[in-house]
Amino acid sequence: MPNEPLFSIGIDLGTTNSVLAYVSLKDEEAQVQRLAIPQCVAPSTIEARTSLPSFAYLAPEAESESGEYDLPWLTQPRCIVGELARKKSADTPMRTVVAAKSWLCHHRVDRREPILPWNAPEELPKLSPVAASTQYLNHLVAAWEAAHPEAPIQDQQVVLTVPASFDASARELTREAAQQAGIPESMILLEEPQAALYAWLSDLGEKWRKRLTVDDIVLVCDIGGGTTDFTLIRVAEEDGNLELRRIAVGRHLLVGGDNMDLALSHFVAQQFQEKKVKLDPWQSVSLWHSCRFAKETLLGSEAPPSHPISVLGRGSRLIGGTVSLDLQQEDAVKMILDGFFPACSATAKPQRRRGSGFQEVGLPFEADPAITKHLASFLAIHGEEDAPIQPTHLLLNGGVFKSSSLRERLLAVLGNWSADGAEPENLTAAEDLDHAVARGAAYYGLAKEGKAIRIRGGTARAYYVGVETAGLAIPGAPRPLRAVCVVPHGMEEGTEVTVPSEEFGLIVGEPTQFRFFSSAIRKDDQPGQSLAQWGEEELEETDPLEATLTASPEWEDDYVPVRFETHLTELGQLELWCVSTISDERWKLEFSVREEDET
Amino acid sequence: MGKIGLAFRLFFRTLTDQEFANKAQKVADGKFTLEPPRSETPEPPAEPPPPKPAAKKKPMAKEPSRSEALTLMATLQREARFIDFLQESLDAYSDAQVKAAVLEIHRDCRSVVERLFAIRPLLEIEEGEPYEIEAGYDTERIRVTGNVMGEPPYKGTLFHHGWEATKCELPQWQGNTKSANVLAAAEVEV
Repeated sequence: MPNEPLFSIGIDLGTTNSVLAYVSLKDEEAQVQRLAIPQCVAPSTIEARTSLPSFAYLAPEAESESGEYDLPWLTQPRCIVGELARKKSADTPMRTVVAAKSWLCHHRVDRREPILPWNAPEELPKLSPVAASTQYLNHLVAAWEAAHPEAPIQDQQVVLTVPASFDASARELTREAAQQAGIPESMILLEEPQAALYAWLSDLGEKWRKRLTVDDIVLVCDIGGGTTDFTLIRVAEEDGNLELRRIAVGRHLLVGGDNMDLALSHFVAQQFQEKKVKLDPWQSVSLWHSCRFAKETLLGSEAPPSHPISVLGRGSRLIGGTVSLDLQQEDAVKMILDGFFPACSATAKPQRRRGSGFQEVGLPFEADPAITKHLASFLAIHGEEDAPIQPTHLLLNGGVFKSSSLRERLLAVLGNWSADGAEPENLTAAEDLDHAVARGAAYYGLAKEGKAIRIRGGTARAYYVGVETAGLAIPGAPRPLRAVCVVPHGMEEGTEVTVPSEEFGLIVGEPTQFRFFSSAIRKDDQPGQSLAQWGEEELEETDPLEATLTASPEWEDDYVPVRFETHLTELGQLELWCVSTISDERWKLEFSVREEDET
Repeated sequence: MGKIGLAFRLFFRTLTDQEFANKAQKVADGKFTLEPPRSETPEPPAEPPPPKPAAKKKPMAKEPSRSEALTLMATLQREARFIDFLQESLDAYSDAQVKAAVLEIHRDCRSVVERLFAIRPLLEIEEGEPYEIEAGYDTERIRVTGNVMGEPPYKGTLFHHGWEATKCELPQWQGNTKSANVLAAAEVEV
């Protein structure tokens, strides 16, 4: 029997940094605070920091046995997460897991298999994307329990954030990692852009009702280290009260702030090369670091015409070995503003990946880094009657927006797209771009308790089960596939749907697999609706669903006729069931995240 | 307390506290024994406890076995190359070369010091502005110089706004005594 929760805990499990924020549920006046997380910052050195870099260093046995990575709660760990691991990613990349989160929603690999660090030699230890996420969460949980022994995590209200663009199977894997880390089953998954809006709401309190009015549309643009996430939220009215409704989320975009710093540092490294200066890997990382600062200065307000960039000498001969050059402001603008935020028309479309015969299995980074073009296509898809949807307000999140030029460019581009040329109102509070998500997540825990406003939304996507059509088989050609809608867009938490459709015969005793699709675009499809064809952009295939039907003694045939039933739990967990039409039996469909056969 | 820790404390106190230095001189000369500590603690000016959330100190497994001064030096070296910088002679380099390196080191030292100590001015007043000192002022926080006559209040001009650390959160070092003096390990690339 769990004890009553004392705290609401918000966890932002980020691609490059994780943050834990919490707020007391017992004290009305309590403010959301960030947990100081003790972590290894160097051998034998523990420092408490307010964020935990999401990196995992798989140490050689001798190193870990020496005790130099011991934590207050753990001796001789083989897997070290946090600041030390972040540094190791530069000098010992083959033993360091990075960007595990980006792999969680990558359908072409088995996310429970130890595959990270990607491309590391076989004799080295590896972790699965799920296990790496578990490691980060383990550390956060241990840090929490060390600081709050009176409030074990199992008893607390925990909210974990995921990108809005995560599909059902990536969310399920995140939940799996959380449970392995001892986070209670009552945990809620919250979409990151919504969490950012909750942080804004918590700052304003009831005053938000003065800032937003009915039919306003807030665009949340969240650019993390490795991903970009768009969400649209509409202000509606119900029973005379203002209400917030999430109406659309964007595709999963693998482009983020790190790409920008990296682009700039490649550019500078080239300039060094022209000066016949060769940088070693360690110096390249310090260059990356310097470029991030240079970016913030050169794209800030009152930017100087140039900013010096130095890379310190590697050995103890520091000044003698230092190389430096001036990065021109116009070059930085060209690289970052025009590269990632180009002015473009409202009808612009991002470039698609070229279909080449050999595609690497690595992470599917965006072929087109132009975030504004991705945004244009997102707003166009969710518009009506050929006119893109027009946000009236903009909320930004992520460290990249510390640069004022980026904020201004985005506002200007959106202004250009609007019918009256007016820029959306910027709601962003510039001081909290790095931690708003965790803060908002903790605040959401209060909202769940009825102490604050909630954003309603239901599922961000509609889901479809692929069914092969009956009919004559044509040798060499796969049977045509139909997609049967099993979850409509916006299905609310705590509801169930019995999918009205014909019966499907499932074979007893062996695993049955269904291809599974999702769409963030098709909003009007109802359960049972069957699509014979669809646009390439409309449906995205995700992990297949699988169930093994146990043979029941009274049924003698080899197959059972079933219908689908879907259930969205109060916690936002999607469950699909095959329900027998001839008995009381039902079987739950589970995601199969194994590697797909190359057929 | 380890001998090294004690040596550092004596070193800094001798350097900053004239009265103490006089006594230390006598001790060094073998003419004086230090008095037992009096009720006024020889701590630096009472540091206001940082407004930290539920300031529960994490349970540390081991007692730190080296001076925090060394841990601070190691941190500055690790994150800002501070020791490399101090140990190098500047004579051979042009102003431009020194500046290029200093910009980086300065930025990184600053961010370490901000994170660990969050240093803030003692007085939020522009230097050069007139400043009146009330009677009963805190002599540890305000130092009066110049023609100091009679009793306060004094009228003067703020010359330096002072600094204070608003927190002190050094990393915890938990290595063994053998490596306690290592500020930066030698690096070998294989």
